[in-house]
Amino acid sequence: MRKLARIVWREYWTRLRSRAFVLSTLGLPLTMAAALAVPLWIASRSSSHQVRIAVVDGTGRIAQDLVRALEQVQGRGSRLSVTELIEHPSNLAAVRDQLRKAVLEHRLDGFLIVPDDAIKTGTVEFAARNPFEPQLTETLTQALTRVLLFERLREKHLPLDDATLFATPVRLGLFKIVGTTMAEEHGQAIVPAILLATILYATLLMYGMTTMRAVIEEKSSRIMEILLSSVRPIWLLTGKILGVGAVGLTQYLIWATAGAILTAYARFAAQMLSPGARGPQLDLPLGMWIWLVVFFLGGYLLYASLYAAVGAAVSSEQDAAQIQMPVTALVIASFVLFVPLMQNPNSTTSIVLSEIPFFSPILMVLRICLETPPLWQILMAILLLGATTTGTVYLAARIYRVGVLVYGKRPSVTEILRWVRYS
Amino acid sequence: MNSGPALVLESVTKRYATVTAVDRLNLQVHAGSILGLLGPNGAGKTTTLRMILRILLPDEGHIRIFGRELDDSGQDLIGYLPEERGLYPRMIVREVLTFLGTLKGLSGVEALRRTDRWLERLGIAEWAHRRVQELSKGMQQKVQLIASLLHDPPLLVLDEPFMGLDPVNARLVQDCLLELHARGTTLILSTHRMDQVEMLCDAICLLHHGRAVLSGNLRSIKQSYGNNTLLLEFDGQADGYHLTPFASRINRQGRVIELRLKPGTDHRSVLQFLLQQGAPLTRFELIEPSLQDIFIETVQSSHA
Repeated sequence: MRKLARIVWREYWTRLRSRAFVLSTLGLPLTMAAALAVPLWIASRSSSHQVRIAVVDGTGRIAQDLVRALEQVQGRGSRLSVTELIEHPSNLAAVRDQLRKAVLEHRLDGFLIVPDDAIKTGTVEFAARNPFEPQLTETLTQALTRVLLFERLREKHLPLDDATLFATPVRLGLFKIVGTTMAEEHGQAIVPAILLATILYATLLMYGMTTMRAVIEEKSSRIMEILLSSVRPIWLLTGKILGVGAVGLTQYLIWATAGAILTAYARFAAQMLSPGARGPQLDLPLGMWIWLVVFFLGGYLLYASLYAAVGAAVSSEQDAAQIQMPVTALVIASFVLFVPLMQNPNSTTSIVLSEIPFFSPILMVLRICLETPPLWQILMAILLLGATTTGTVYLAARIYRVGVLVYGKRPSVTEILRWVRYS
Repeated sequence: MNSGPALVLESVTKRYATVTAVDRLNLQVHAGSILGLLGPNGAGKTTTLRMILRILLPDEGHIRIFGRELDDSGQDLIGYLPEERGLYPRMIVREVLTFLGTLKGLSGVEALRRTDRWLERLGIAEWAHRRVQELSKGMQQKVQLIASLLHDPPLLVLDEPFMGLDPVNARLVQDCLLELHARGTTLILSTHRMDQVEMLCDAICLLHHGRAVLSGNLRSIKQSYGNNTLLLEFDGQADGYHLTPFASRINRQGRVIELRLKPGTDHRSVLQFLLQQGAPLTRFELIEPSLQDIFIETVQSSHA
């Protein structure tokens, strides 16, 4: 056991000090920080940037109301400003052409054309260099809906006093049921679900391959024979997997800490920029963290043992590239499957997929994140994962035992299977 | 030092898919002795060493080390210098050695202490904090040797220990091994360098096709071949003399001829013949056959 501890420690300590670890550990939080900071920065810039639009009112009745409505909808510090009003254009085509030129020459950012039958049809067109800007179109739609509604009421000679009330759009509140409590949903489950799935996917792949490379390295540097003259191969394999796994957990810890600090900062920044804004929501309940760690460990052991077996079977990384494909395909599959699973996390297909040990480390975590599957489903997935992992570790140990002493030609699958049966 | 066997192999057999690498091998290595494990390439030397090191497990037979069946803990009693040398290239010399020492059961502190002492002893102390890959091949050899004997094993197995060493370093390593021998360490040497075997080994075991075709005390083996070899040295080229009537084997090497006398041939008749021919003889000596000769002869005759 003391020898095992030595092996784990060497693996852990040399890797922790390696350039690759430092780079990847700093890389992710920095990328995430950039991913959070850049949109904030852009948002802070574009909020001061005025969007100048022209309004062409074919009805000749709504232009003034629309300007007012736009101001109301946007609230304080509005960024949309109507710089030009054209009522009853005599030649719409000519006006449109003229405005188009103005947009291209950056004298204008976009223009709204309200046709003369707009009150009846509700059809309005907006043209800009980039018309699909969610916030902008939302503002325009809201203001137009209100103004057109007023006009319709006015046409029917109905009282306008309660018009604002009529125009109030529906706000559909979304609630997530977790056990006995209900929490209002603002997509806070989706964001961490995608984030966790991505992190799991990346780390399973990264640390699985690290284990494989570590085995190949010991083989190709020929230190294997000395190691084997001191410890049994099973301890060597176990030590390698645990050592690399510990590096992974350390990295998680660093990331989690960095993530917590960043989220807090981002929330603070969002508050500063626009009071009342929520900022990114990345809170995870404690239970979620426990499941995450359990499934990461299980998945890591599963894939690391498979990758270690691949590493033991080959003599060079080039050879490994081919044999590792089936293993890597499994990791990738579980990541790809997360899209259909997210759409319907509770279908029979989703349940079955999330129970399959090769997929459950990513897919079950996702389901736990999106909704709360029955406890027995989670426990069954863990049980299946544990059983399969025991199997793959045993299998890997047998391949490893023989493979680490075999050099030269890349072995065929039948050859590797013979190693497993080898006494 | 007790003179019981340090290592006993009893009918040890190892088969691979298509070949029997080691076939019912019996071997005894006396405590404190130096055994030369010889044999042509592919004779089963490496497989035998790997079984002694418990890297491979024999399919049949028993291996006993210092009187007890070899098990995992027995690995700590053995030091190993494999033929394929290798260390972690990116690790610091001192850390690799300490790590390997602890794998043999030393405490971290003790391993470090011994590492420093040995690095000093082999004259590479100033490289202790460098990475392995920065060292020259000869220096890496020395580091590897230290790794094999750091835990002061009573049995040391060395596969081609002088490979890649210049004469100065070869001498240094040899002195090291002789010092260990003097302190009672049992050594097993696998090598193709017969001169070193003759110089260092007490006993030999010659493997061929996985079997011991010749084994025992080196002195008695050579004596059993008798004083029937003539060493002739000439001042000038040694060829041009028709010596086949006298010899069962002739080995010509430049100015030197090694000649195995046919049974019943008197060595003086050879001398007479050469003097009649007016050969510029500078040396005429009756010797035991060289190990090299015995090796070649044994391997060739067991082929038949």
